[in-house]
Amino acid sequence: MNKTIKNILILVAIGIIVGLAMVYYVFNKPHRDIEGEKPAYKVEAQKFFAEYSKDEIAGDEKYGDKVVEVTGKIVDITKEGKDISIVLNDEMEGINCALNIETIKNNKDRIDRLKVGDTVSLKGKCDGIDMIMGIVMTQCYIVDK
Amino acid sequence: MKNIIIIAVFFCGFITQIEAQKYITKNGKIEIFSETPLFVIDGVNKKVASILNAANGNVVASTLIRSFRFEEALVEEHFNENYLEPHKYPKAIFKGKIIDFDKVNLKKDGTYNIKIAGKLTIHGQTRDIEEPGKIIIKNGKISAITQFNVSLKEYKVKIEKNYKKAIKDNILLKIHFDYKFYK
Repeated sequence: MNKTIKNILILVAIGIIVGLAMVYYVFNKPHRDIEGEKPAYKVEAQKFFAEYSKDEIAGDEKYGDKVVEVTGKIVDITKEGKDISIVLNDEMEGINCALNIETIKNNKDRIDRLKVGDTVSLKGKCDGIDMIMGIVMTQCYIVDK
Repeated sequence: MKNIIIIAVFFCGFITQIEAQKYITKNGKIEIFSETPLFVIDGVNKKVASILNAANGNVVASTLIRSFRFEEALVEEHFNENYLEPHKYPKAIFKGKIIDFDKVNLKKDGTYNIKIAGKLTIHGQTRDIEEPGKIIIKNGKISAITQFNVSLKEYKVKIEKNYKKAIKDNILLKIHFDYKFYK
């Protein structure tokens, strides 16, 4: 076979493989790794709520979409189906934290031991502040100290 | 005089009873779905709050756009950065009422077809909606479900040129609330 044709074929083959790999990567792009991300802020639940609720726009600007580690007293634990939400600080002025589904599966005993009144640190993605739920954090992990 | 006091006490009791007829959830669910041959948008938000006032059928519901999770990370990214823009409009809110709520008997198990009407705010745009739904009473517990389409255009959600064919204007929303008695 002619050497030039061979080289062209090899190039075309490489091109196709790279193209497919890119398509595969785009459609199978991994989700953001909240657990592996260093928290942008470490906050105490009561102060966190006070600061955020005082100026929601400034709060969104500072905390929205950021990974935040929040420490506070548990006031409510709600289990619904496979999901678990833990509310810190206060029922009405709460930090409402939905636990990550994987961490619920993998740390069942640790989570079962949690009870109202305990102080706990949770790390998760801050989604914003809601008039009913308070500050909402999703994909939360328990931070052991 | 005594009778007046008795009547007054009776009415006070009556009023507080009405005020106490509120139901709440902080773990409601919205699923969003859209499919074209090119693209499946399949997301869920399990942090949806709602309060139902059983005295008059008034309902409020709210959620944060960032709480939506999608099967594909890429779709999640686009949803947040290019379409719903939660950095500008972090919340979606519904305020309205259940029409014909008086035909729902909270003490009797059953499924009641109802209509929900009110103002839905998404992406900073408020629209009047009226959609069918169901109230399900089981063992004294109230659940509410509804599903309807929202038009992206109506809420001024812009689709990039390249995705015009890949994304439909109508997105299906499935909403589910399991209410609890509000202390």
